[in-house]
Amino acid sequence: MRANEFRAWFFSGRDGEAAAVVMRVDGERVVVEATDGTVRESEPLTTVMMSEPFDHAPRLITLRSGGTLEVEEEGGRLARALARAGVAVSPIVQLRRWWPAVLVALAGLIALVSLAYLKGLPLAAHWVADRLPAGIEGRLGDQMLVALDRHYLGPSQFDAEWRERLARRFADAATKAAPGVPYRLEFRATSEESINAFALPGGVVIVLDGLVRFAGDEAAVLGVLGHELGHVAYRHSTRQVLQSVGVGMLAGMLWGDFSGTAASVPLVLGVLKYSRGFEREADDFAIAFLRANEISIEPFYDVLVRLVEREGQRGIATLPDFISTHPSLAERIEHVFKALDE
Amino acid sequence: MTTAPLVFTGRGGEYFRIWVVNLLLTVITAGLYSAWTKVRKAKYFAQNTRLDGHVFGYHGNPKAILRGRIIALVLLGAYTWGFQFSRVAGLVTLMVLCAAGPWLFMRSQQFKLGNTSFRGLRFGFDARVGEAYRIMLPILVLWFAPAVVTALTADEGWQLGLVGLLTTLAIPWMHHRLKAYQHGRAVYGDRSFAFLGARRKFYGVYLKGAGLVVLAVLLGTTVAFVIAWFRGPASQFPGTGFEAAIYGGIIVLPVYVFAWPFLAARLQQAVWTSTRLGDVRFRTEIKARALFKIVFKSVMLTLLTCGLYWPFAAVALARYRIECVRVDSELPLTAIAADLHGRPVAALGEGAADTFGLDLGL
Repeated sequence: MRANEFRAWFFSGRDGEAAAVVMRVDGERVVVEATDGTVRESEPLTTVMMSEPFDHAPRLITLRSGGTLEVEEEGGRLARALARAGVAVSPIVQLRRWWPAVLVALAGLIALVSLAYLKGLPLAAHWVADRLPAGIEGRLGDQMLVALDRHYLGPSQFDAEWRERLARRFADAATKAAPGVPYRLEFRATSEESINAFALPGGVVIVLDGLVRFAGDEAAVLGVLGHELGHVAYRHSTRQVLQSVGVGMLAGMLWGDFSGTAASVPLVLGVLKYSRGFEREADDFAIAFLRANEISIEPFYDVLVRLVEREGQRGIATLPDFISTHPSLAERIEHVFKALDE
Repeated sequence: MTTAPLVFTGRGGEYFRIWVVNLLLTVITAGLYSAWTKVRKAKYFAQNTRLDGHVFGYHGNPKAILRGRIIALVLLGAYTWGFQFSRVAGLVTLMVLCAAGPWLFMRSQQFKLGNTSFRGLRFGFDARVGEAYRIMLPILVLWFAPAVVTALTADEGWQLGLVGLLTTLAIPWMHHRLKAYQHGRAVYGDRSFAFLGARRKFYGVYLKGAGLVVLAVLLGTTVAFVIAWFRGPASQFPGTGFEAAIYGGIIVLPVYVFAWPFLAARLQQAVWTSTRLGDVRFRTEIKARALFKIVFKSVMLTLLTCGLYWPFAAVALARYRIECVRVDSELPLTAIAADLHGRPVAALGEGAADTFGLDLGL
């Protein structure tokens, strides 16, 4: 065998017979010769369709006649002969055949995915949330509330008169501090006296009896509600839902064949944990909210501090949403503390 | 009687390099390049699979796959979010899926098989629209029934329980119907495959599989409870989303690791032993225990390496599943193949199948 000759199998495409042939890369042509030396095919290299090279698989070369050649790589001998004949190798193939380049690509991939996760997704979620029709957000929140009511939440034990008074006071304060933020206040309780308050997409603000009792002071409750109103004003929960869908799609792109990924993203999971930035924004909103209504910030600050003390006793497993981002908790308290001085 | 095994020559390290470059390009192009990566991946696995010394080929057109993926993404989005939008939107989506589903499935089979070759001859799928609807419509209606009941009744009452139970009991029937259609209408060259039917076997496998699923869920739940107990009283609702996801994973993982290998191995045995191509018979020597070992190792190493082991796992899994297959025939395969003929591309409407390619993992 000369350097430009290769043992190959030839399939005509008309039947399944495998013919042993010699393939010659002859100048700019591919010539297929039968074992007796007769030329079966001869075609310019520019018109054949050549599969890309793999380490242990033969090349499949499709001719215009409909015939196919199956040629072994022979440890790179075929690739070298084709290169000499001027067949270009795509940059993607060159990249994936060279380990150092692959490692650089891996580093680039990790950097890009981190960037997409940390910056791209929040930006995209914000952009979509701002353009989402209010009706969709409302329905999303209502459906979550229905699901929560069915599985976790019960009616509030406080009497209707008291609830109405607090709701009215909050409504007045909200009108003064943040007019035009549409919200709906809901009172609920859980059997375990959970200390919690949270906001759902579309402006549903839920406050649990446990939190009201723990806060004690009405000004503190208003501070917490102001914090949740901040989540509503900035559409944090809608953005959070959208971000979790994005994370699902990103993960699907990396490890799955991205069908079914969106379906597997559980909706309720997404809303329950906010980023550090979201909490800080909501705290700032709460401070502005309290100031606008000339309510002292101290009771709100006091609730935060007491929750931290509780956290110390209980471990971090069971923190409510209201103070859910552990690493920034001290920072958040400090932040609110600064507002106390001003 | 001659027996030929399938041989797989792919390597984890080589596929890792392909995977990394594919992913980088996919992420840079915001997913658009994924259609091209799908073709490269399919070519890699096909050309590294040998039978009797010759390899398979894959010829799918990436643009057709991109079109198919856009269609699939729209339908998936509508299916996932339809009921969030409104009850009517959800029900309309289900109706659209029932109306288009059989045709899309038929086309996806045409695309997949029509673009696979062996010894210069294409496989194919003998697609008839009427038959596709007759086979698929009952499956789709049964599959969507629980969602329809949930949408139409106010609370999750006995109606949902009843319909859900019916659908669950029908899963082996649905799966078998789909496999019988896929294998029974497959074509190689000018010769048709035949599927003999294995409904009873499907029910047997699923019955044992269901037992394993229950055991796996029990195991996962126990582990989750022990962890939760060590972390202190879980009196606070709702905990964090991250935590809920971890607990969900602890419960789901044993199902994948223990129950899936059993179901996959036994169902492959049932499917292949029922498939014929003329006098050519197929069987697989796949074992649930060996498959379990591969899956367990893959899951553990993938978790430990933050996902980097994934391509190695894909190759290990493909190698085992492919190399278990045996092809039995009276005559040598070479003699049989020489007697096979190609057919004109237009015969089964495969030209039209190239307008878009759907890759359904069924």
